[in-house]
Amino acid sequence: MELHLTLVFNGLATGMLIFLLAAGLSLIFGLMSVLNFAHGALFMFGAYMGTWVYILIGGWDSNLGNLNFFIGMAAAAGIGIVLGYLVERFTVRQVYGNHLRQILITTGVMLVVGELVKVFWGPNVIRVVQPEFLTGYFAVGDVRLTYYRVFIIIFSTVILALLLFMLKKSKLGIVVRAGVENSEMIQALGINVRKVFTLVFIFGTMLACIGGFMWGPYQGQVNPAMGLDLMLIAFIVVAIGGLGSVAGSAIAAVLVGLSEAYMAYYFPPGSLAVNMLIMAAVLLIRPTGLFGATR
Amino acid sequence: MNIKKMYSKSEAVAGGGTSGAGTETPKGNRAGTSKPMKNPFQSMTWQKAAWIISLLILFAVPILVSKNSTLFMLTNIFIWAVFAMSYNLLLGYTGIISFGHAMFFGIGAYCFALMARHIPQGELGFLFAFGLTVVICFLLSLVVGLLSLRLRDTFYALITLAVATIFVIIAEQWRTMTMGNDGFNFTAMLSRDLFGFIDLLDRQHVYYIALIFLVSMFVVLKRFIDSPVGRTLQAIRDNEDRVSSLGFAVLNYKLISNIIAGVMAGLAGVVYAISIRFVSPDSVLGVENTIDVLLMTVIGGVGTMLGPIIGAGVVEVSSHYLMGLSHIHPIFERWVILFGIVFILIILFFPAGIVGTINQKLRGKKKEGAS
Repeated sequence: MELHLTLVFNGLATGMLIFLLAAGLSLIFGLMSVLNFAHGALFMFGAYMGTWVYILIGGWDSNLGNLNFFIGMAAAAGIGIVLGYLVERFTVRQVYGNHLRQILITTGVMLVVGELVKVFWGPNVIRVVQPEFLTGYFAVGDVRLTYYRVFIIIFSTVILALLLFMLKKSKLGIVVRAGVENSEMIQALGINVRKVFTLVFIFGTMLACIGGFMWGPYQGQVNPAMGLDLMLIAFIVVAIGGLGSVAGSAIAAVLVGLSEAYMAYYFPPGSLAVNMLIMAAVLLIRPTGLFGATR
Repeated sequence: MNIKKMYSKSEAVAGGGTSGAGTETPKGNRAGTSKPMKNPFQSMTWQKAAWIISLLILFAVPILVSKNSTLFMLTNIFIWAVFAMSYNLLLGYTGIISFGHAMFFGIGAYCFALMARHIPQGELGFLFAFGLTVVICFLLSLVVGLLSLRLRDTFYALITLAVATIFVIIAEQWRTMTMGNDGFNFTAMLSRDLFGFIDLLDRQHVYYIALIFLVSMFVVLKRFIDSPVGRTLQAIRDNEDRVSSLGFAVLNYKLISNIIAGVMAGLAGVVYAISIRFVSPDSVLGVENTIDVLLMTVIGGVGTMLGPIIGAGVVEVSSHYLMGLSHIHPIFERWVILFGIVFILIILFFPAGIVGTINQKLRGKKKEGAS
């Protein structure tokens, strides 16, 4: 029983972290039909940038205490906003409406951003330690709940709640939801969809970069392969959850996180295969994903 | 469509006439009156001549060049060109984008490598490797196609990426069979007198194998693309809804294209294994290989027959020299960044690639001259 509780807890943490990556991907796809292959590389860039600032400031001034973790997170979010704007403005915007060229151009961005990471920070693995106030664990019965995982779950849940609230209540959120349903109609109603696209792209990239930064201390390292590895998982999550559905990707992310945790315990090499099988099963039964709009 | 074809044919003939010695024939040809040609050289257009000359040069290279490294590089360019041609069938002629095409390439390479390692050398093992590759690639592309092609177009990219990653994981984990991440070398197991006259350890022989492979695959692909099925594929690429509403079973056509591309990539993998005598997940199976072949296809020219070949040459040669520059400045180790930027610029400004853009320019000039 303890074993299963631990695995469920771990899976929940992994899933919620994956959700940060998948949410942006899902919204970008739902709204603009862009399958963003650069998402993983942007996620990785955010991870490196945040980690770099986190380690640098931690080395400079130990009086700051745990503030360096949050400064690192802010740096990741900042670079996410900058990169999101640049990528959207100079590449994705140029090829709206052409799926093939969108995929191709985001692949090009993936190559460039992925290599930039290696140019700036080298091709080697960088070790990352968890911030002091999040190291350690507390025990509930025999289940050890590490603080960092608890932090991830709470943080991501807050983001999820905020995201859902904004989509439900704010004017921008309503436009985004309507855009997922039918973006031409929105345009016909006189709303500047391009602006909304840009905002969503920036926001999605920022979320991915924050997720990337939090992934470092979680795994204990950042490395140049993480972008592609996690992007694949994020794609699977988005496909299962339904393109354009935030709640769907949250549920799918937890599902994938749980299967990752269980497979990591029982048969690590099979984890991707199991996720693939889940995806294949969902797509065969419901091609639009669990919560996707039926178009 | 027939009319268009005839038009382009007569245009080509006219072009040949003007560039040749004859000054009276072109007008007659352009009007469409087909005079019987007396001189056999007159019927040979400059395009055909260029083809034959370049082929002759390629066949003569091993006699003129004795440096093994040059031969090795050319051999690999030919093989990557076939791989890129198969990718171009999907991307350029069918309009679907795959991120797992390297799995077929890798399966072919691993089939040959494992055969060379486990079955004592000989013709039977050699042929068996080819046969096995064809069967596996056929079945795999059929299953993957059935699973993904009926969904939204973007899912094909996603599912192929995922399936290919599973193959990478299998190759990494099944250590007893594949030696895991390190891969393995099988130079010693290669036959020195295959069928009595092929020496797989001789670079010249391998060069000719690759060249003949490239030429035959080119002819096969050209014939396929000009066939009714190939024409339908191009129509699907241009307007899928229209073709579908005309009563064509779009899924079946896409499946055919997927299978041919898969089998062709698998065969390219076999020949690649013969050439590099080494396999590892990174060198033949990994997603990087799909990205490389994507770069070649797009840089060379999507939807053109020559594009992938030119692209393979450009990418192979320039990456080779850029890597050689890494002792001047370490930035050259990151040569992929340059390709990435070139790739983005090409998609933004020259979506037809090198060959396609040149073709457009030539056609534009011809039209100006005609009017």
